[in-house]
Parts: sequence; structure tokens; C-alpha cells
Amino acid sequence: MSGTESVAFDTPQRERRGDNFAMWVFIASEAMLFGAIFLVFLVAHIDFGRAFAGASKHLSLPLGTFNTVLLITSSFTMALAHMLALQRRWRATVWALLATSALGVCFLVVKGIEYGKEIQEGLAPLLGLPFRYSGPDPVHAEFFFGLYFAMTSLHALHLIGGIVVITGMIALWRTANPASRLGRVVAVGLYWHFVDIIWVFMFPVLYLINR
Amino acid sequence: MSELRKLTFGYLGLLALLALTVGSSLLDLAGFNVTLNLAIAAAKAILISLLFMHLTGTLPRLAVAATGLWLVILFGLTLIGR
Repeated sequence: MSGTESVAFDTPQRERRGDNFAMWVFIASEAMLFGAIFLVFLVAHIDFGRAFAGASKHLSLPLGTFNTVLLITSSFTMALAHMLALQRRWRATVWALLATSALGVCFLVVKGIEYGKEIQEGLAPLLGLPFRYSGPDPVHAEFFFGLYFAMTSLHALHLIGGIVVITGMIALWRTANPASRLGRVVAVGLYWHFVDIIWVFMFPVLYLINR
Repeated sequence: MSELRKLTFGYLGLLALLALTVGSSLLDLAGFNVTLNLAIAAAKAILISLLFMHLTGTLPRLAVAATGLWLVILFGLTLIGR
């Protein structure tokens, strides 16, 4: 570990602690954003529980479960990248990062397939698409699907952000010194795990609770 | 325990909790499904933050505690009058 990247820090250790704290504060702000959306869902669920229960059964549990496995695995490979970076095994670190972003892309592909299926069944009340729902209380079922698409697309957007950052990091890998490589892996890792945690809550709330 | 071992156990634990949450949703637990699903999600979040995110040190814990406090205020004040 040689020197600091910024003149604002006396020692590399202090800089690492500063970087780490900044990431946690950023994650806290993101948690507030997602917290507000979960709260909207909770209040709606209290008021329209039966409509939400009926609508939730139209989501694909196998695809949702498969996607959860993909995301948990990507978190594991990201944790491996962190471990390997600490051991300064840089080539293996890059492979772990590539595996993480590849799993993220797989998640998005599966999500896309799921969206396609829902649009085909007329369950997507967005972009002026026709909403055809045969179950009880279609008005509030439409609200459920609106929230479902808002929550999952916001999450997908965060995942895309993570994939872009990992790709950029790998592109700039050769020009970075060991200290900044490790710092970047730690920072993007924290973000990636947080996006995983959001999905860990979103999955039961959307797919399971109402079954 | 070596770091690799710790991470692998964490990963397998997460998969086991996922199987438990999906399995429990197929049973009718008379209203306890919601509580159980959210408890399992919280357990998964704790596993990820402790093992994968290395949630140690005062400052990161302070950030997490502040988040928890603000979320309690957000949810509490919204739900209190209902």
C-alpha cells in the first residue's frame, strides 16, 4: 500500500476508512429511497390485501426464485473478488468480477423474459399497454402491478449501474495501482451487496407474502 | 476458519434460507407466513452484511444505525394513525 490517492488524508489507512464510511452513507441514502417505496407497498397491502394476494399469484415464482439464486451467487463471487484482492491475486480478482457482472446480466435477462411474459398476458399497466385482468378487484390489482414494475425496474436500474461500474473498473484495471484496485473492489462490492439485500426483501414481498 | 470457508458457508446458508422461505410460502401457516418471510429476509440481510460486507468498525455501524432510526421514524409515523 503506497501513499494516499487524495491529499486530504495523512495515511492510506485513514483514506480507506474514509472511503468505506462514504460508501456506507451512500448506501444509507439508497436505503431511504427503497424504504419509502416499500412503505407505499406496505400501506397499499394493508388496504387492498385481497386484491394484492390475487395479483401476486400471477407472478412467476420459479423465475423469481431462480433470479434470487443468481443474485445471491453474484454476491458470493463479489465477496470472493474482495478476498482475492486482499491477497493481491489480481488475475483471479478480475475473473471473480467478470463472473459477478455476468451473473448480473443473467438476472436482467431472466427479468426481461418475465416482463415479456407479463406484457403478453396483459398484466403490465405501463406505456399505454392494455391491462387485461380477469381476477377480482382489477383496479387494485392494476395498482399492484404498477408497484411491481416500479420496484423491480428501479432495482434493475441499480443492477445495470453496478454492471457498468464493474465493466469500467475492469477496463481501467491496468492503469490502476494496487491500493486503488483494492479500494474500488471494496466500494463496488458494498454497493453490489446492498442491491442484493434489496432484492432479498423484494422477492418475498412481491412473490411470496400473498400466496 | 479461513476466509474462503467462511464465505462458502455464508453462501450455502443464504441458499438454505431461500429454500426455507420458498418452501414455507407453499404451506398455510395461518397468518404467520408474512412474519416468517420477513424474518428470513432479515436473517439473509444480516448474513450478507456481516460476512460479505464486513460490517465492522464504528463509522459503518453508525451509518447503519442512523438508517434504521430514520426508517423506524418513516414507517412509524406513517402507520401510527392507521
